[in-house]
Amino acid sequence: MGTRVLGIVALVAVLAASVNALFLVPADVNQGDAQRIMYVHVPSAWLGYLSFGVTALAGIGYLWKRDLRLDAVAVAGAEIGVMFTAFAIWGGMMWGRPVWGVFWQWEDPRLTTTALLLALYLGYLLFRRLTDDPHRRAARAAVVGIVAAVDIPIVHFSVEWWRGLHQGPTIGSPDKVLHPSAPGLFVLALVSMVVAFTLAWAWLMIRRYQLARIDWQIEEHGRLGRISAARRAVRAAATTPADGAAEGA
Amino acid sequence: MQDLGFIVAAYGVILGGMALYAVLLLRRLSAARRASLQVRRDAEAGLPSPPPEAEA
Amino acid sequence: MSALRADASAALAIARKDAIAELRGRQIAGSTLFFATLVLLLFGFALGPDSRRLAEAAPGLLWLAIVFGSLLIVARLHQLEAEDGALEELARYPIERHAIYLGKLLAGLAAVLVLGGVLLPVVAILYGIDLAAAWPALLATLVLGAIGLAAVGTFYAGVTVRMQAREVMLPLLMLPVVAPLLLATVKATSAALTANALGDLGAWLQLLIVFDVVMAVAGAATYGHLLEE
Repeated sequence: MGTRVLGIVALVAVLAASVNALFLVPADVNQGDAQRIMYVHVPSAWLGYLSFGVTALAGIGYLWKRDLRLDAVAVAGAEIGVMFTAFAIWGGMMWGRPVWGVFWQWEDPRLTTTALLLALYLGYLLFRRLTDDPHRRAARAAVVGIVAAVDIPIVHFSVEWWRGLHQGPTIGSPDKVLHPSAPGLFVLALVSMVVAFTLAWAWLMIRRYQLARIDWQIEEHGRLGRISAARRAVRAAATTPADGAAEGA
Repeated sequence: MQDLGFIVAAYGVILGGMALYAVLLLRRLSAARRASLQVRRDAEAGLPSPPPEAEA
Repeated sequence: MSALRADASAALAIARKDAIAELRGRQIAGSTLFFATLVLLLFGFALGPDSRRLAEAAPGLLWLAIVFGSLLIVARLHQLEAEDGALEELARYPIERHAIYLGKLLAGLAAVLVLGGVLLPVVAILYGIDLAAAWPALLATLVLGAIGLAAVGTFYAGVTVRMQAREVMLPLLMLPVVAPLLLATVKATSAALTANALGDLGAWLQLLIVFDVVMAVAGAATYGHLLEE
């Protein structure tokens, strides 16, 4: 049960990294303790984008190979991606209020791009829900996912350009923690949290993928069962004489 | 700690949300495994099964 | 080379078919123009009566109206065929899928251009802005924006054409994707109306060109998968 081991390792890693981020790492000089929120915001954002990439690639793979297992990967990526993207936005807002003074900043390209990413994901999931046939659903979802993925860099680019027209926030930039000159302890805390979150992500993806496959199998067997039951009913009706005499072979 | 409320809100929702999702996922998984067994038995016995809920 | 010409003539034929159907029915044009004008009127009520605020907001309001109008346009263009099952018929002809996509894109583009062309003077009147000096830049922005909207809209209309909840799914899927287009067209329009912002205008138009090319290519490449079922 390798997955179970992975799950336990991920759990321990997340707890350890969180304790470190909350209590052991020193507070930032400028942003204070609020900077600790970056240690969960950044990994969430990274995993949100990673999941989306997985969904888009799995979609391309499905269109190529027509293997429904790839579609299971795609839906796993989308559901888990929605979650991490929502976390990233929430973390960004919780960080923004103490540091910027506001919950939202239009000019921050990451926040606005991530919000749009969430909208694209939710549209993708809703779209899947409204199609029944597994292969049609997989093909159409793949196509929707590809176009959405292609849009993301354009969105990011355009918001950065937008920001360039006004002076962007200089103090209190969320990117500060990623800057190469950041203190070693900060970098270590962030990297360890990224690793821990990614382990958790991998476990979640595996489990969600398993669930998707079983759901599909249920659909398949259910369908076959209904078909064979219908066939049986038709055959029984054909061999039963109309006057109710004993049934033939 | 300064800004404690925001830190608690951030970590609470994110870590708590992940944990909640993991628990729900495990429950969905075991329910699905049971349902899958049931449906397969039904199919082999020639019984119709009700259509499943629309997949997520 | 002849394959390319065959594609192009197929695309034009489809576009012409849609345009003729539209002119005969007058359904899309009339109702869409009416709707978009209503939207502009309501914006006036929502943000007015301060004429300076309206004039400042005018580029954004114009393009919101165009975006909403284009939702109606592309949905209707796909319904023309879906209702009679003609879309499947079309798919059986020996023409390339991307030619079908391009044909519908052209029809949509024409409709959105007409929409924008009508709305520009409406905006000038309702929000009190002077368009005369900037008309080449405004035209360029309109054309590039319309291409992007037609490219994205035709694609998503094809995605949602036979779905149950398509009236809500089309906007839901399309609107996030066109957010950068909206940003770029509004900024370009503002830059065009401000005398000394030519550098900005160029940058935003470039972004629009990138958007148009990327979306049209992605749409053409994947449209085929939507027809084969």
